[in-house]
Amino acid sequence: MSPTAALVKAALNSNFGWSVVRHRLFVQKRDRWMVPLIALAVVGVVPTLVLYVRLLGAVFDMLKSLGQEKALLTLAVLAGQLTILVFGLFYLIATFYFSRDLEYLVALPLKPSQIMLSKFAVVLINEYLTMAPFILPALIVYGFKKDGGLEYWLIMPLAYILLPVIPLAAAGLVVVGMMRLVNIGKKKDLLIIIGSLVLIAAALFLQFGLSRAAGTSGLDTQKIIAMIASPDGLVQSIGHRFPPAIWATRFLHDGLITASGLSAFALFAGLSILLFGGLMAGAQRLFFGGLVGLSERSGVRVRGGKTLPIKFSSGRHPVKAIFLREVRLMNRTPIFLLNGVLGVLMVPVILALTLSTGKPGDDSADILRLMTSAKPVTGVLVTTMFMIVCATLSGVASSSFSREGRKFWVSKVIPVDYRQQVLAKFLHSMAIALLGIGGATAVLVFRFRLAAGQWLPSLALALPVTAILTFLNLAVDLARPLLDWISPQKAMKQNLNVLIAMLLDLGFLFLYGFAFVALGKSGLGLAAVLGILAAIGLGLACLAYTLVLQFALQRYPSIEA
Amino acid sequence: MIEIDHVSKSYNKGAVRAVDDLILTVLPGEIFGFLGPNGAGKTTTIKMIVGILKPDSGTIRIAGLDNRTEALRCKTMTAYVPDEPEIYERLKGIEYLNFMGDVYGVSGGERRSRIEHWLEAFELSRAVADPIQTYSHGMRQKIILTAALMVKPRVLVLDEPMVGLDPRSSHLLKEAMREHCDGGGTLFFSTHIMEVAERLCDRLGIIHKGRLAAYGTMAELRDQAKDKASLENIFLELTES
Repeated sequence: MSPTAALVKAALNSNFGWSVVRHRLFVQKRDRWMVPLIALAVVGVVPTLVLYVRLLGAVFDMLKSLGQEKALLTLAVLAGQLTILVFGLFYLIATFYFSRDLEYLVALPLKPSQIMLSKFAVVLINEYLTMAPFILPALIVYGFKKDGGLEYWLIMPLAYILLPVIPLAAAGLVVVGMMRLVNIGKKKDLLIIIGSLVLIAAALFLQFGLSRAAGTSGLDTQKIIAMIASPDGLVQSIGHRFPPAIWATRFLHDGLITASGLSAFALFAGLSILLFGGLMAGAQRLFFGGLVGLSERSGVRVRGGKTLPIKFSSGRHPVKAIFLREVRLMNRTPIFLLNGVLGVLMVPVILALTLSTGKPGDDSADILRLMTSAKPVTGVLVTTMFMIVCATLSGVASSSFSREGRKFWVSKVIPVDYRQQVLAKFLHSMAIALLGIGGATAVLVFRFRLAAGQWLPSLALALPVTAILTFLNLAVDLARPLLDWISPQKAMKQNLNVLIAMLLDLGFLFLYGFAFVALGKSGLGLAAVLGILAAIGLGLACLAYTLVLQFALQRYPSIEA
Repeated sequence: MIEIDHVSKSYNKGAVRAVDDLILTVLPGEIFGFLGPNGAGKTTTIKMIVGILKPDSGTIRIAGLDNRTEALRCKTMTAYVPDEPEIYERLKGIEYLNFMGDVYGVSGGERRSRIEHWLEAFELSRAVADPIQTYSHGMRQKIILTAALMVKPRVLVLDEPMVGLDPRSSHLLKEAMREHCDGGGTLFFSTHIMEVAERLCDRLGIIHKGRLAAYGTMAELRDQAKDKASLENIFLELTES
């Protein structure tokens, strides 16, 4: 086996952990309880998938009635590629520069491009898996509805394989360049965070720019008629700022035997190869520069006998000490900070931007204001859910134990009651959740201009529910902490616990929303409905507190670090 | 002080027996050296003593307290140094020491004097305000040792503590170990360095394939072996497969 192939194989194996899973399931015979759980989760997703497929079918039928069914392909490709472009950035930075195996790989007789290729392969395979539930149904529905024939079914997998290459390679080039530039000086971590934020802002700007371009809001009737009259009108309108989506549509629709299809494929594949080649060439020149910078010591050690002033604390309470440790570890690990704290702050902003069309009179802010005054219960429900979602979907609580990784032994040996340790982690997760609630409230007040009477009840309801979900998420991670990660990204974004917790959170929110609506319809006054919900929230939060602390006492001793 | 009573531990659902019916006692004021080939069960035993791993059967008592039912009290009187210096890289050295001082309840004054003493001894004073991620392997080992010695526990459990230490620090550590036990403390440590074990330990245990192959003072071990020349010879003889 060539060194490149061996490296890629090892990277995929170590990242997706098939050897570990096989060892755990068949040799250690551990984690077998996960198999039915995962099967159940998959079965649980089926109704949503069926709904999604039906929706896609309806969209196809609607587009077909206008003669624009190809636009479904354009939308699928565009959505997939832009999502990869935005969310791939975090992932690329973490995988390219923060994997712990890099310092060993650098010492091996391997070219930078070979190492980069192995890392790129990991990200690529992950993107295939992440995109599958969203993009594949669209491509499959189109194939069946259009009755594409054998040729479509042969080309479709090829298109899917090529789909993430352009955005990932483009993002990779930017990341490699950025890391080389920022890895100078003493404040590397800060620069990495700032650089990442700039990239994310640019990607968001691009996405919103493109989505606005894809919209038809700025067109007058004549233009719309002209667009529909042309068989490629909607495709061109959606994809004109991102031509690869148009090329993919064309070769998927026309096939590779036609001149237009073949030329579109040549353009799509050509650009993929060009960007991928560029990334490999860039890696050869810049990758080690960025990497070496990262492993350089950035301390401020004073030489020549002068000693820095040392700050001795004087007996903090253990809960305070652990809370402070959690804060420091999260804020000083760029990947944790970006995914956790900044993620929480970004969610309200992104949601606010997504809900905004930018046109006066057609703004979701007006709709929300109208809703809260016409149907106060529904208005409070919407704003409460908004706050809770902004607070809890960050993965901070559901990765709280996993983030300790191989240092978990410290938590096992220190003479601090496990309940106090969990309490400190709860307080830390809750502090970050409060940032999310604060951000959501700011958006509601400043963007949607809701009065205090409208958002204050939501705040009162959201706080106990956030506490419940934080306890729930902590329990999920405590049940099966992922401690043997090599890249911090794996402890947060690639941690199955985060996904499981998210599904449970959504399930809880569904039930909470159901209770909210049922109480709203019961004929009770708004104050009574809110009072009952607040009481239920507080009661459940107290129950969750008791149960999770008891669970900590049972579970901690069994975790073998 | 440390009583290990019929303790067993296996991995892979019993397929690998790491520690097999281990019985030994370490007395107060004693330095106990735990020897054995790689994979013999040393680290597993140590991790069970400090509560990181749960034994499948048997009991471990620290000062007469069961380390599972009275875990918190046992931990209060025990400090542990692992074989791999895996600590919070994103904390500064002093932050780690303060954290350990806080959770062990070391008072401000004692903390300051002990930390300053060990930092000076290990030549870490100038690095302690830096993030641990900038430390070498040996420096990380020294900061963990400083934390353990700052706590002044009744029981010190060290897993291969000399690995990565420079000769001066290694010498200082040996002195500290002796001093700890002369003051009535108990020390349980594993090592592969036979000379250190021979010269430093009051009693020794040799573990092989999870079972205690030999146990006693150096003189008692000599009596058990055919080749009595050195601990190394005894070790090789007892651990021959």
